[in-house]
Amino acid sequence: MTLNFNFDSIKSIEFGVGHEVEDEELFSLVSVDKNVKTALREMAENTWDVMQSGDDPEEYQPSEKHTSQEYVFVAIDSELALRIKSLHQATNLSLNAIAMENPETLLCYFSRMVDSKGKRLTAIKRASQFKGIVRKRLVQFVTDTLKLVEDRTFKLDNDFDMLVDSEHIHILRPSGFEFIGELQEVIRKAVPSNVEAIQKEMPFVDFSNIESYAGNHTRAARHLASIRSQRETQNISQSLLKKACKTHGIDLHVKDGKIMIAAGHEMDFLDVLDRRRYELELVEGSPERYRAGSRRKVQD
Amino acid sequence: MNAMRNHEGLKSARLVMVLSSISPLFILWAVRGNTLIPNRYFIAGCCAMILLPNGFLFLKLWTAKRHTDTREITVGTAEDHRDHLLVYLFAMLLPFYTTNLSSWREFSATLIAVCFIVFLFWNLNLHYMNVMFAILGYRIFTIYPPQDNNPFSGRESLVLITRRATIFSGQHICPYRLSNSVYWEVE
Repeated sequence: MTLNFNFDSIKSIEFGVGHEVEDEELFSLVSVDKNVKTALREMAENTWDVMQSGDDPEEYQPSEKHTSQEYVFVAIDSELALRIKSLHQATNLSLNAIAMENPETLLCYFSRMVDSKGKRLTAIKRASQFKGIVRKRLVQFVTDTLKLVEDRTFKLDNDFDMLVDSEHIHILRPSGFEFIGELQEVIRKAVPSNVEAIQKEMPFVDFSNIESYAGNHTRAARHLASIRSQRETQNISQSLLKKACKTHGIDLHVKDGKIMIAAGHEMDFLDVLDRRRYELELVEGSPERYRAGSRRKVQD
Repeated sequence: MNAMRNHEGLKSARLVMVLSSISPLFILWAVRGNTLIPNRYFIAGCCAMILLPNGFLFLKLWTAKRHTDTREITVGTAEDHRDHLLVYLFAMLLPFYTTNLSSWREFSATLIAVCFIVFLFWNLNLHYMNVMFAILGYRIFTIYPPQDNNPFSGRESLVLITRRATIFSGQHICPYRLSNSVYWEVE
């Protein structure tokens, strides 16, 4: 995976913060000096170095249990990327001289960089220690005496949670992406459209009870988002699906030619569609069934 | 809430930039002289009002360059506002140049009027209206943001001091920041 940005020819570096004020997210720029810009550039380069040090990234899946630091990516046009994309593509973000006056409302901080070809990179970090440090007592060594730092001090991190270029969101910390992108809300709102898209590919299943279940259960809504984004419902065989459901003890019946999932089995059915159920028989006559919290497709 | 949304900082810097913009008035006053105050004090005062704010302005330009205090601006539409200098001329130079400073009352009233004008220029963010820029070949454009549906895009118009003759819609420019609403493009 490549980054559509050149760190060697940066023309402009901006710094900004995201606030939550009265349940509304506000993003504004804050003026910073040359040294802070250098630090921001180093943070972005560190982030990319860490991403490059591992295997090729997998596409982010909302249903997957990711580790705290795991390089995954999302296409910039994905429905999951809507908020981050808006921040990345926002023009003439407002400068706000008092944006740092209420650090307790800080959600994140970010840096927007432009290279000599006009390509933009947005690097975003969830504000945790950045806003936390202001509450601590800091001392500095002046001449030969330790003195209390009276000014409010903010601490930058070593790297960002994600880098956004014109094509992808490169995510180093999925939890940061989910928090800043308000993914839980996005996924819940997307339940009807996800069900509609899946229903088109699986007309032989009645998804009405699954839709209402997912409306109240975030985990199910995450599964639906994954199933749709991974295009996992294409060409599913009705008979093989029934067989898999029988194997995993999912109660279903057929009504008016459509498969109906029994109440209480919605999550199990979504597990099957999201390829999270499997059976192994290593001891003869004792098949074992498992649910995979995290899985990766084995390449042949 | 509104304060969090948009807050124009650099109050002192903007004030000094306004004082810099009225420095031609002090040149004219220094040339005319004054019967109330001895020339050496009056001219020294006028020189201070010319040199100090302009010195600060050049310091501000230099600092912005040194810290590469740039911001990427996307142009929605741009309007050439050289005509603002005419407003400036009629609002500032001509009325004050013609005032009679031969009595203390006249002199005090004129100074108070200058203070009002300075406040208005400061309050209305007209600190970019400086004859120095015109002398150095710069034009003044008001940049309006693109009309997009992005909830995070800025909606404020900005002032760009540049040597460009034209600015096109959709153009991306990285000028130096003089204040949160006034930007200066070197090339």
